[in-house]
Amino acid sequence: MTQPLLHVEDAVKRFGGRTALDGAHCSVATGSITGMIGPNGSGKSTLFNCIAGAEALDSGAVYLRGARIDRLAPHAICERGVARTFQLTRLFRDMTVLENLVAVAHTFSDRQAVERAIHAMELLEIPELMHRPAGDLSYGQRKLVEIGRTLMLEPKLMLLDEPFAGINPRLQNRIVGYLQKLRGEGMTLFIIDHEMRIILDVCDSVWVLAEGRIVMNGPPQAVRSDPRVIEAYF
Amino acid sequence: MKFRLALAAFAALAAAVVLFGNDYALTFTIQLFVFVVLAYAWNIIGGYTGYSHFGQMSFFGIGAYVGVLLMLHLKWHWLGAALAAGGAGLALAVPLGWIMLRLKGPFFAISLFGLTRVFEAVSFEWDALTGGGTGLYLPPINDQRMLYLALALLCLGMLMLTYWIDNSRFGLQLQAIRDDEGAAEALGIRTTRLKVTAFSLSAVPAAACGALFAAHLAFIDPPTAFAPVMEVTTIAMVLLGGLGTILGPAIGAVTFAVLNELLWSRFPDLYYGLVGLVVIACVLFMPRGIVSLLVRSRLIAPGRGAFRRIAARSGRAP
Ligand SMILES: Nc1ncnc2c1ncn2[C@@H]1O[C@H](COP(=O)(O)OP(=O)(O)OP(=O)(O)O)[C@@H](O)[C@H]1O
Ligand SMILES: [Mg+2]
Repeated sequence: MTQPLLHVEDAVKRFGGRTALDGAHCSVATGSITGMIGPNGSGKSTLFNCIAGAEALDSGAVYLRGARIDRLAPHAICERGVARTFQLTRLFRDMTVLENLVAVAHTFSDRQAVERAIHAMELLEIPELMHRPAGDLSYGQRKLVEIGRTLMLEPKLMLLDEPFAGINPRLQNRIVGYLQKLRGEGMTLFIIDHEMRIILDVCDSVWVLAEGRIVMNGPPQAVRSDPRVIEAYF
Repeated sequence: MKFRLALAAFAALAAAVVLFGNDYALTFTIQLFVFVVLAYAWNIIGGYTGYSHFGQMSFFGIGAYVGVLLMLHLKWHWLGAALAAGGAGLALAVPLGWIMLRLKGPFFAISLFGLTRVFEAVSFEWDALTGGGTGLYLPPINDQRMLYLALALLCLGMLMLTYWIDNSRFGLQLQAIRDDEGAAEALGIRTTRLKVTAFSLSAVPAAACGALFAAHLAFIDPPTAFAPVMEVTTIAMVLLGGLGTILGPAIGAVTFAVLNELLWSRFPDLYYGLVGLVVIACVLFMPRGIVSLLVRSRLIAPGRGAFRRIAARSGRAP
């Protein structure tokens, strides 16, 4: 088997007495769309935070293309090609949508950055929001801007934490189509969502987390028919 | 366009003071310029980056002492002394910023105030170098017009620096730190480096300004160098004019200085209190200061125009 793009080993993370991750592991194959599901509070966002460097693991390791990245600063992990969105959106609220996107683009000229931002906004069907302050947007709109912001970074791996929450089904489908196109261009996606319809439709592989541990992993068909998942979700 | 108009107006006014003003006008304007520079300097770290603090007088005071010592013992010209003071500000700001900018919010704000008190105490105690509480005296500069010109240029430089910050991605990234430092860091923005840079950009002019102020007074002592009143006044000016805006510091400083002059002559006992009330009222009712009022009434353009203009030029903007 070829080396996975991302690999997490025995991740343990405690908050005070609460164990959010209890030896979780997972891997994400290069060029895949990988999903993660699990009940509320099972540790999904915590796992993303540990991968992205926002939280430090108590023990365990995170590898990106075989090289350890836990212990790196978040910006350093980002520079290695990992970009993320936040479940509870964290936009730069005093800036416009355009500025939110342009602010994170480091490698281009100003003109290229703006063009890229406009392109991203068109794909996400939000060009009319361009000059609106991010603080004024609805929840769904903020979710879209978060996706747009990660697109500015041209990441190798996108970590999307519940990107479809609060977005209407028609736009959900469009975004799915777009994510599949990105994957076709070589990007790898790791998606947390409760939207089972989408996760089971688009993912190549799905990890199921419960109480900080992986309880099952496999292709969508296998996950769909697993009794533990059926019990939790259907 | 309006920006150039503002620059021209500033140049004309500054020239008028020299050509037609008396000594009183010159002194008033020199001290106003000192505050304009300090307000612009503080606005970079406190306004744009969101790291408000009460320690800018550390740089001002150390700059003042470095400048005075060079003028006194090595007979340096005040201009060279001011440049060296700026260098001293940088040398202090980089390590200090590196350490202190890990603190956030009130912890950062207050610990820098504490640091200023430490510098003040040291300058009181270190008699041999600073003359302690007696202070140090310089031969006065009789014709202060060149000093005035230097300060006017420094003001202009700060205005242009702020204009650039407001319209650059560097500035957007500072504001990203202000809005959500964790998110900025997660999206690859090198927050530590940027914060230290912003801190240094505010320290250097403050330190240079301290040397020029000391040259203007021909004197320095610890309470003058590290004056808490100047610290608070500077911050009040920025809040009054508009935090994190291009014209806010200048508008705030001028408004404040004029208000101060008016109230001081009429109500000598009450004027500090009255000035305080005006500042509180402004901050309560205009969170982005006088500038927000001017923007709303379309007298000046909202900030950060550069990216809007580029988008408009790209032809795809709505
Ligand atoms: N910063 C924190 N401090 C304390 N406890 C935390 C923190 N972050 C997460 N937790 C706890 O860790 C556990 C896992 O939380 P996490 O947000 O990772 O769950 P999740 O699977 O993303 O849930 P959801 O589906 O609701 O988003 C929860 O019990 C949560 O309360
Ligand atoms: Mg979550």
